[in-house]
Amino acid sequence: MSVTSWLQERFDIAAVQKFAAKKQVPVFFGTVWYYLGGVSLFLFILQVLTGILLSLYYQPGAATAYESVKFIVSKVEFGWLMREIHSWSANLFVFFIFLHMFTVFFSKAYRKPRELTWVSGMILLALAMVFGFSGYLLPWNELAYFATKVGTDIAGAVPFIGSFLTQVLRAGDEVSGATLSRFYSIHTAILPLVFIVFLGIHLIMIQVQGMSVPEAQENVPPEKKKTMPFFPNFVVRDLMLWLIMLNVIALLAVFFPWEIGLKADPLTSAPAGIRPEWYFMFMFQTLKLLPAHLWFLEGEVFGILMFGVGGIIWLLVPFLEKPKYTKLWTSVGVGIVLYMIVLTAWGYLV
Amino acid sequence: MHLIVLLYFITSVNTFGQQPEDACYQCHLEIDQDQDADDRLFKNYLQDIHVQRGFGCADCHGGDPEAFDDEDAAMWDNDSYLGELSPLDEVKMCAKCHSNPTFMSKFSVSVSVDQESQYWSSKHGQELKQGNEKVATCSDCHGVHGILATDNPNSAVYDFNVPKTCSKCHSSKNYMAGLLDKTDQYDDYVNSVHGVALLDKQDVAAPACNDCHGNHGAAPPEIGSIKEICGSCHAQNRDLFQKSHLNKIFKDRGIPQCESCHGNHRILKPSDNYLKWDGGVCVKCHPAGGKPKLLAAELFNILDSLNTQLESANLLVEQAEIKGMEISELYFSLEEAHNALIHSRTAVHSFNKDFLLEAARPGLTASADALAGAQASLNEFDFRRKGLFGASLIFSFLALLLYLKIKQVESSKRKDTKHEK
Repeated sequence: MSVTSWLQERFDIAAVQKFAAKKQVPVFFGTVWYYLGGVSLFLFILQVLTGILLSLYYQPGAATAYESVKFIVSKVEFGWLMREIHSWSANLFVFFIFLHMFTVFFSKAYRKPRELTWVSGMILLALAMVFGFSGYLLPWNELAYFATKVGTDIAGAVPFIGSFLTQVLRAGDEVSGATLSRFYSIHTAILPLVFIVFLGIHLIMIQVQGMSVPEAQENVPPEKKKTMPFFPNFVVRDLMLWLIMLNVIALLAVFFPWEIGLKADPLTSAPAGIRPEWYFMFMFQTLKLLPAHLWFLEGEVFGILMFGVGGIIWLLVPFLEKPKYTKLWTSVGVGIVLYMIVLTAWGYLV
Repeated sequence: MHLIVLLYFITSVNTFGQQPEDACYQCHLEIDQDQDADDRLFKNYLQDIHVQRGFGCADCHGGDPEAFDDEDAAMWDNDSYLGELSPLDEVKMCAKCHSNPTFMSKFSVSVSVDQESQYWSSKHGQELKQGNEKVATCSDCHGVHGILATDNPNSAVYDFNVPKTCSKCHSSKNYMAGLLDKTDQYDDYVNSVHGVALLDKQDVAAPACNDCHGNHGAAPPEIGSIKEICGSCHAQNRDLFQKSHLNKIFKDRGIPQCESCHGNHRILKPSDNYLKWDGGVCVKCHPAGGKPKLLAAELFNILDSLNTQLESANLLVEQAEIKGMEISELYFSLEEAHNALIHSRTAVHSFNKDFLLEAARPGLTASADALAGAQASLNEFDFRRKGLFGASLIFSFLALLLYLKIKQVESSKRKDTKHEK
């Protein structure tokens, strides 16, 4: 008795097989964008696997975190490789989610009936950024410590709930060992749980509703429409891309390792060049450039409100966009992408 | 109008206290205005520590400070009036208060009151006693009517300013003519390791003139006591030299200890090359070579081995760090080796090969550890590169298999489609 028939007797997997066999992926010039979600998923899997291995040796706490990371990279067999893969795949993870989000935006794949798929994707992007912010502090080095201090200071400028938010994030008045424990718990327990729930919802919706195709592609006559079976054609291609991605990460891990830096010392003054992770840079740079006061608001509060309102509008794009304003929305999207690129480059180069 | 400007000037500069109610001050201030700015008697008067503490002109010069608008009553008709003080009188006048512990304790319980007795023991004091009025007295170093507290950075006797103050007289060939032939001490000092540390690096722990020659009891040190003076900071070097076989020889022959190898005012940063025969310092007393030459070579070789090994370790550790390897632990070994090198350079003053080797041994071990650790890190990096190459091959092979699988699936699908047609 084969494994398939053994499973069939118990779980009726034929229905799943039938579904997989029927599922088709549209083939056109934009098919390549369909792989971005899969790559993001692969990077998340890498995060989970390497994260679990790192947690075997990592010890949260102001007195132990930095030392344990040093121990991992210098004494534990292949510990360095796990840390490098974890750090590199974390950055690529956020990068590919951003890329995925913008390709979905520009191809208008969020339109009816996929509004909630977009919303769940946006929630996943926000969670990925919180993953990055909380993970950045864990090595407890100087750069991470002061970047977290600045980041939680900014959270303090949120109107009405700012000081409460800072207190909750820091687990006290200052960034301390208590903050580290809290961030570790958020990073390794709370976020993975929430992320997996939304990831499941996101994937189920994609499977149920199928792949979206751009409007121009929808108007192609049925006899000229090309498709490929999801299984095995698309899945095997996906796997091939994952292997290439793994190869790239291995290359980065060996030749561009992440520094551990100096251990955080709350009593020293902040070193020059403190900056957040690259995906927060455009917001950080904007806040730096804003004047101290704008109208009746403080510059920082104005910036936070601007990004807050902007984020909510972006989240609600599927519900706000009207077909007659398609070009306007696309132009806004192009403007946002350019703004993010320029401000990020400005933050690093100037 | 002039009076208003003058009053404004006086009140604006007197940031420390009230305008003195003093007849001497008020009359002489008017006379002072006719002088060039640099020559004014009261240029820095209001900042003077004595004025700050409530002393006036009459406390040093006598006279009646309350005789306003009456020159005779203030000076000429007053028995206490002394006028300008001679150098000898000046020392005695300063000592009236500064040698009185009861009086001085009103201002500070820790202030010393032995300046006068020290001064009379100094070369300056002895010369003054014999009638030589060119020598330095209190005001030559501390100033006259603008004396600042010694811990005030603007004081002429503050650490950074002492060399310049001494050099006012000691670097002047004209002034020193007939007193001392040597006038290049200041130039030598500013180029010395001590001068650079004090004046360029602003390291107050570095010695100025007074740290070796004394303050109020300033005198050239005797040959036998040079090592004690240097040893007040370089204690280990002094102790090792005292225990060495050279101590007795230097003493018996009247050779200055530290100075013979290191010089006096122009003491440069010592180098291991001092032990080399060519261009070294040993050859100055041992031109014939022999055993001393052999010993110098042995001492040099020990230091050189440690130094060379430490430099190699530094270089290799740096290479490993550039490649992104975690080598922070190796810095402890490097630090230990560096400390041992400093300790060994001190141990040279024992002039004993075995003693030096004992001091250098921990450094040799630590630098060997650092070398081995750095080499292991570089090997590990090499292993990672090779591992990456191997992994890349496997990944590429698997990717190729998947590609072939795609081709196979698509070609069988095309065949099926044709067959259906």
